[in-house]
Amino acid sequence: MRVRLIVALSVLLTATSALAHHSFSSEYDSNKPITLKGVVTKVEWQNPHAYFYVNVKDEATGALTNWALEMGAPSGLQRLGWTRNTLQVGDQVTVEGSRARNGSNLANARNVFKDGKKLGAASSEGQGN
Amino acid sequence: MRLIARLVPVLLLGASLAVPIAAQRAAKPAAGPTPHWPDRRVNFGPLPGGKGHWNTGVGNLSEANVKMDGAFLVDPKDIDRIAPFQPWAKALVQYRLDTRGKDDPHPRCIPPAGPRQFNTPYGLEIVDQPELKRMLVLSGGGSRSWRVIYMDGRPHPAGDDVNPTYYGHSVGHWEKDTLVVDTVGFNERFWMTRRPTGMVHTDMLHLIEHISRPDFNTLRYEVTIDDPGAYTRPWTASWNIPWTTEEVEEYFCQDNNKDTGQLVGGDTP
Repeated sequence: MRVRLIVALSVLLTATSALAHHSFSSEYDSNKPITLKGVVTKVEWQNPHAYFYVNVKDEATGALTNWALEMGAPSGLQRLGWTRNTLQVGDQVTVEGSRARNGSNLANARNVFKDGKKLGAASSEGQGN
Repeated sequence: MRLIARLVPVLLLGASLAVPIAAQRAAKPAAGPTPHWPDRRVNFGPLPGGKGHWNTGVGNLSEANVKMDGAFLVDPKDIDRIAPFQPWAKALVQYRLDTRGKDDPHPRCIPPAGPRQFNTPYGLEIVDQPELKRMLVLSGGGSRSWRVIYMDGRPHPAGDDVNPTYYGHSVGHWEKDTLVVDTVGFNERFWMTRRPTGMVHTDMLHLIEHISRPDFNTLRYEVTIDDPGAYTRPWTASWNIPWTTEEVEEYFCQDNNKDTGQLVGGDTP
């Protein structure tokens, strides 16, 4: 019974299919994972993909680099409990994702962490899109 | 067992608090029979006063329903089982698969025309306008566009009257509870499906679609591709599309589209 319950809850929690309007692997490389820690500078809450931007500080030089992070659609994020106000400019976040193939400061976010909480990102990675 | 019984409501309460939106919005809609209008035509939409749409993003356009990893083949050798390609068409689809669909016009906001209208994410609605003797197929994804299906018995245009377009010229009729749609007059500026990526067609494409709703939550889509410009014979693919009780969300591809320039397909330079 316990197993069944856990399975049922797992299904409930993961039944948030994320769809992209482009092929994931034509833009991002799952073999190039990246973890970024920084401060949110901008949030774009819109279809087909919500984006946010973070300033990442180079600890050695103090230089700031601005990164763009793609997530899933707002509807997919809402199913994870997000709202358009979940991320605010100035928030300190940690992001796990996959780097863009074009070599720019762009990544597809697989997970976003804020205040120690894992928020998810409704990424289409792994959906084969 | 008693402990588990006591834990169940706690866990369920915890889950409902943790994912209130997930629990409500991802819930499967209630099962039910095929809905009909008072004149017995099939209703492809919500019940009056209700809401919902067809939750597209599923299905793949292949004759043998080959195993796919999203837009790509699990086994590259399966390309010969997708469709009866002419050699040039197979070579082009192979190139598009190898380059991960980087040249796909759709992420550049080109309409999801042909069968792609029925597997593009972000939703689809079929709106019946019997007083106008036409039906509309509304696409929530891509460039948020629509196709008109004329139900008044008019013929396709012929000769110089054919102006090739993305959605072509569609005429439909009912065969019992199945909507049969015949379409010609396509241009060649789109890829006609999302899965597999890169499926080709020519302006000789003639589509015959059979659309039905075997139960409340299922849209059955079957399409025959008759294109002597790209294939050696007509062939057929089909898939089911689930109903969702959510509304189609607004999405305009033209607004703030970032994909152009990000679609590179190959390895990082």
